[in-house]
Amino acid sequence: MSVALDFYVYRDSWLHRLDPRVKLWGMLLAFIAAFLLPYLWAQGVFLLGLHLLLLINHIPWAVLRRLWRQMALLMVLILVLQPFFVPAGTVLIALGPLRLTVGGIVGAALLAVRALVIAFIVGALLFTTDQRALVQAFVRLGLPYTWGLTFSLTLRFLPAIQQLFVTVREAQAARGWVAEGNLFRRFRDYLPVLVAVIIGTLRMSDRLTLALAARGLASGAPRTVWRDLRMRTTDWVTFAVITLAFGLLLVSR
Amino acid sequence: MLIADHLKFAYPPLGPDLPATEALREVTFSLQTGESLAVMGASGSGKSTLCHVLAGLAPRYTSGDISGAVSAAGYNVLAQMPPTGAVGLLFQDAATQLFNPTVEDEVAWGLEALGIPSQRIGAQVEEALGRFGLLNVRARSPWALSGGQQKRLALAAVWAMRPRVLLLDEPLGGLDPQGRAEVLTTLSTLHYSGVTLLLTTFRPEAAALAPTTLVLTDGAASPPAPTADVLRDEARLVEAGILYPPHLWPSLAARSAPSSAPAITVQDLHFAYTDGYAALHGVNVDIPQGQFVAVIGPNGAGKSTLLRHFNGLLRPTRGKVYVQGQDAARRSTGDLARDVGFLFQRPEQQLFAATVYEEVAFGVRRLHLADVEGRVERALARFDLTGLAQKPPSILSYGAQRAVTLASLAALDTPILALDEPAVGIDGREWARLLAWLAERRAAGVTLIIVTHEMELAARADRVVALADGRVVADGTPDEVLSRPTEVPR
Repeated sequence: MSVALDFYVYRDSWLHRLDPRVKLWGMLLAFIAAFLLPYLWAQGVFLLGLHLLLLINHIPWAVLRRLWRQMALLMVLILVLQPFFVPAGTVLIALGPLRLTVGGIVGAALLAVRALVIAFIVGALLFTTDQRALVQAFVRLGLPYTWGLTFSLTLRFLPAIQQLFVTVREAQAARGWVAEGNLFRRFRDYLPVLVAVIIGTLRMSDRLTLALAARGLASGAPRTVWRDLRMRTTDWVTFAVITLAFGLLLVSR
Repeated sequence: MLIADHLKFAYPPLGPDLPATEALREVTFSLQTGESLAVMGASGSGKSTLCHVLAGLAPRYTSGDISGAVSAAGYNVLAQMPPTGAVGLLFQDAATQLFNPTVEDEVAWGLEALGIPSQRIGAQVEEALGRFGLLNVRARSPWALSGGQQKRLALAAVWAMRPRVLLLDEPLGGLDPQGRAEVLTTLSTLHYSGVTLLLTTFRPEAAALAPTTLVLTDGAASPPAPTADVLRDEARLVEAGILYPPHLWPSLAARSAPSSAPAITVQDLHFAYTDGYAALHGVNVDIPQGQFVAVIGPNGAGKSTLLRHFNGLLRPTRGKVYVQGQDAARRSTGDLARDVGFLFQRPEQQLFAATVYEEVAFGVRRLHLADVEGRVERALARFDLTGLAQKPPSILSYGAQRAVTLASLAALDTPILALDEPAVGIDGREWARLLAWLAERRAAGVTLIIVTHEMELAARADRVVALADGRVVADGTPDEVLSRPTEVPR
C-alpha cells in the first residue's frame, strides 16, 4: 500500500534510458495525435503500437493487463451510455426518447479506444520513468527545485496519510465501531477520524520540516545534482524522429 | 566540540490557560573531539528536545524559550545555524526523515545539498551504503524497508555528509530485537571515524557504546559519569523510569487453572493478502479461557496476521476462527470487540477523540455497555488520568497518551485481551504500568494473548506458540519451546 502511487517498473530498456524530457515531449505530441485521429482503425493501430512499444521495452504483460482492468469500468460506461447521448445516422432500436444508432455506437467505440490510448501513453511514461528522473525533467525544464521536491514529497506522503486513516479506522473497529446508519450518520462518524488524520498529518509535516532543515534544505547554498540528465545522441535522434512523425501526421490530415 | 552550558528550554504553552512545558531544566556537559556521550532518560525526559537544540533546530524551527549556551563543531548554535553537514542528526522516527524515491537517492540528497561535485557523489553514496550494509537494497523504496534497515538508511544518509558532530536520538527506538542488533552492530564501529558522538537511549546496550553517560530526569541532567557506574546503579535507573528489569515484574499467573471452555479456536487457518502474499498456511490453535499465550517468531512469520483474525480485522481465506465458542465469520469486527480487547502496535498514533474522556468512552458507547460513566471514570482513575479527562489527547505527553490507550481498553472489560508487540519502543515506566495492569487482569481470569519478541515475557506465559513462515512450528510450555533455540528462529 505504501508504494501505491509508484507505477515505475524497474527494468533496463531503451525507453527506460530515454531522457525524460524527450518522453514528456513525446507524450505531449501523442496526446494531440490521439485527439486529432478521427478514425477508429487509426486509434486501434495507435493502441496496438503502444502495446508493442511497452512489450519491446520489457514492461511485462501483467502490468499492461492491470492497466486494462483499471480502465475496464470506464470502457463499459462509455460503451453503454455514450451511444444514447450522441445519436447519429441509422436508428437500430428506438425506446421512447432513447435511440440506439450506428453513428452513436461507432462514436462510443472511438471514444473508448481513445481513452485507452491516453491511458497507455501515460503508462508509457510512468512505467519507464522513475520519480527522480521525472522531477529532474521538470526542474530542468524550468520548474524551481522546491516545486519538484514538493511534488516528490506529496507522492511520498499521500500513502502515509492513507495509512494513518486505515490505522485510526482499525482502532475504532476494534472498539466496537460498525458501519451503520444513513449517509449523514456515517459521515458524522468519519469526522473524528478526519480530525485524527489531520493532526497526524500536521505532526508528520512538522517532523519533515526539521528533517529537511537538518540536511540543509534551508541553507540557501547551491545544490549539485547527482546523475544529472544529459541529452545523448539517441535522445536527440528520438526527439527529431517523433517531431518529424508528428509533422507528417499534421500534413497528411 | 560539543558543549552545553546551563541549558534550559521551554516549549510555548499549548493553550491560553496552560503553562509552558519545561523540556530542559538544567543540562551541562562538554565533549572533546572524538568523544562519545550517552544520554539516558525515560520517554518525555527531554532527550529529543536536547538533540534538536544541539542541532540548532529548536527553537529556530519549533519556537520556545531558551537560555544557557550551546556550541557544536565550533559554532555558537543559538546565534547561528551550523553550516550544512557540520552537525548530523538521526531523528527518533527514522521513517519520516526518509523522503526520496530510492535508497541511493536518499543518501545522495544530503551530498547534493552540500554542493559536492556530482562526479564525486556516486563514490560517497557507495561507501555509505557499504558501511551500513545497504548495497543490496539500493534501488528499493525506503518505505519498503524493515525498521532496522530504515534506521540504518537514515544513519547512512546523515553519516555520508561527514558531520563532525553526530547526534543519534534513540537509535534503537521502536525496533524489535533483530533490528536493534543490526543497528547496534553498525553503531559499534562509528567512533573509529573520529566523529564526536552523542546518543540518547533508555537501553543499557546502547548506552554501553559510550564511555560516559548522563541521566536525564524530567529535563534535569546528572553530571556525566562512567557508563559502567551508571548502569550498575539499577535502582536509580528504575527510579528514573528508564529500566524495569524482569526480576521486578509482577506475576502474570492466573489465580485458578485455565477452564476447559475454549476462548479462541483456530482451525486450519489460511490467509493471503489481496496482493497475493500468503501469510498463514494452515494454523491450528486451541486457547482455553484464562490461559496466557505468548506468540513468538521472526519478522514476517504471520504473528500479527494471526492475531488480527481474533477480532475480525482480517477474515480467513480458508479455515475457521471461533471466539468464545462462536464462529467469528458470523460476527462483525464491531461485535467481536465485546469479547476481544485489542492493543495495536504504537497505539498512541490512533487517538482520535476530542477529549480523553470521549476517547475512553468511545468503545463503551459503541458497544452499548451499561454504566458508561462508571466504567470510564474507573478506567481514568486506574491510569491516573482523571485530571486530564477534558484535555485533548493530542497535547498529552507520550506516556500519558499510552495510558489513554490502556484506559480505553480497560473500560471495555473484555474476557480476552490480544496485544500486538506491546513492548516495542516503551521505557521502564510504561512497561511497569502495562505489566501491573495485565497482572490485575490475569488475576481476574482474563485470557491473554501477546505477540512479542521479548523472550523474558514469553517465559512467563502459560504457553508459547512459535510461528515461522505462516505455520506453527512449536507449541508448548515456555520450558519446552524456549529451550530449543535452534528450532525457533527469533
